Amino acid sequence: MLSYDFMRNAVMISVMISILCPCIGIFLVLRRYSMIGDTLSHASLAGVAIGLLTGQNPILGAFLFTSLCGALIEFLRNYFRKYTDLILSIVLSLSVGTAITLISSGKLHANADAFLFGSILTVTVSDMIMVLILSVISVLILIFLYHQMLYIAYDEEAAKIAGVKVRLINYVFSILVASAISVSIRIVGVLVLSSMIALPVAAALQMEKGFKVTLIWSVLFSMTDIMLGLFFSYYLNVAPGGFTALISVAVLMIVLLIKRIRQKLAASRIFREEMFPKA
Amino acid sequence: MISIHNLYFSYHGVPPYILENLNLEIGDGEYISVVGDNGSGKSTLIRLLLQFTKPTRGSIDSRAHRTGYVSQKNDYTNFGFPITVLEVLDSYRHLLKLKEKAIIWNALEQMGMTAYAHALMGTLSGGQSQKILIARALIGDPDLLVLDEPSTGVDVESQKEIYSFLKKINQERGMTIISVEHNLGAAITNSTLIYHMSGGHGHLCTPDQYAAELLKKGIGAHYAFL
Repeated sequence: MLSYDFMRNAVMISVMISILCPCIGIFLVLRRYSMIGDTLSHASLAGVAIGLLTGQNPILGAFLFTSLCGALIEFLRNYFRKYTDLILSIVLSLSVGTAITLISSGKLHANADAFLFGSILTVTVSDMIMVLILSVISVLILIFLYHQMLYIAYDEEAAKIAGVKVRLINYVFSILVASAISVSIRIVGVLVLSSMIALPVAAALQMEKGFKVTLIWSVLFSMTDIMLGLFFSYYLNVAPGGFTALISVAVLMIVLLIKRIRQKLAASRIFREEMFPKA
Repeated sequence: MISIHNLYFSYHGVPPYILENLNLEIGDGEYISVVGDNGSGKSTLIRLLLQFTKPTRGSIDSRAHRTGYVSQKNDYTNFGFPITVLEVLDSYRHLLKLKEKAIIWNALEQMGMTAYAHALMGTLSGGQSQKILIARALIGDPDLLVLDEPSTGVDVESQKEIYSFLKKINQERGMTIISVEHNLGAAITNSTLIYHMSGGHGHLCTPDQYAAELLKKGIGAHYAFL
């Protein structure tokens, strides 16, 4: 399947997705913000629609609009401190409302459906360049702000004491979320994008390791999910987004099952050793 | 170390005030325990001191070159956070832009926690994780250490170790310590001064005076000689 140009492009973008999404996702999950990923991925559809309406690159449109929505969430947080889910409803109404209005107007220069479900056939060269630029910049920022972001997630007060500019970094982080989403919408699609952000992290958390090791596991799971998703969607001729999401659920289930079996085995070994101690 | 002048605080900037006209001067090298009932304004005072929030009126000035902070141990929300002891300390060192990694091993050693360097924070007992958080607060050699109820959720043995350690660094290194205390026995035995808060007001007294106050109320017999 790698003999086709479009497949090679899809694989390259998938590698970027499988690195970027869990790196952002781990912070979202640990801060109990998984649903922000979902909201922003839906918000990106409005960006895509604006991009297609104005004849600009839809991924760039998605990035700019999603960044704006991310900043809006941070801003509204000051007004609805205890009601984060309410903020998400507000941003969803604004963005999905915009998307539906624009798409249903029939004035777009191309079809937005590919962004809803994900597609491997429609990846253009300018998409590739956008994805590459966004991924490299995001990974560099992540490396640079690693300790700050870890501490904001783990212990925000301690971060403040140590002089971390928490609000500024929260804004930067929402731009990173926007970037990860924009990179992913082409292949994975808007509807199930949050599966790429949350599920590999959920599986990695089952390993019960430190932060860095959990992050590495998240990337490994993410890579497995998306590569298998791509492979099967190619042979089954279905949208890659949907199948990747199904595989990420399956991988999580397998991890949970293995963990359960290992716990049972360990328990029965302890039981045996206690009942029949070796002479 | 700290000067507080005519300090007022309320959440919306209008009365009723949570803190009302506080004046307090804390000298270098003092070990001051802040005591009082729930809702007396202790935690608010600490939050103002650490600049997490701004005073409504008045001023609170800290001349500390570096502040270490041990927050109240109610972080059950963070219980499952995948992070090792070493990561907690090392990332903090990075935040303070300190180059030498030996600093964190030194902090661990002071608290007798070197053996737990690679353990997950979530697997530690209340006492152990409190010692790690104190070790973290010591990174970068602060001249002011602020603690919010350091003995909450900590077993008795670890409490003893923690309080004798605090007393030691106060006396030997001259580190200024401000500790919000529910443990009145520890407040009386450890501190050089006690700031007793009630209804948004506060008054400063010596541990002996405070013990006498408690005795007068008839609750001293239970607490003062723990």
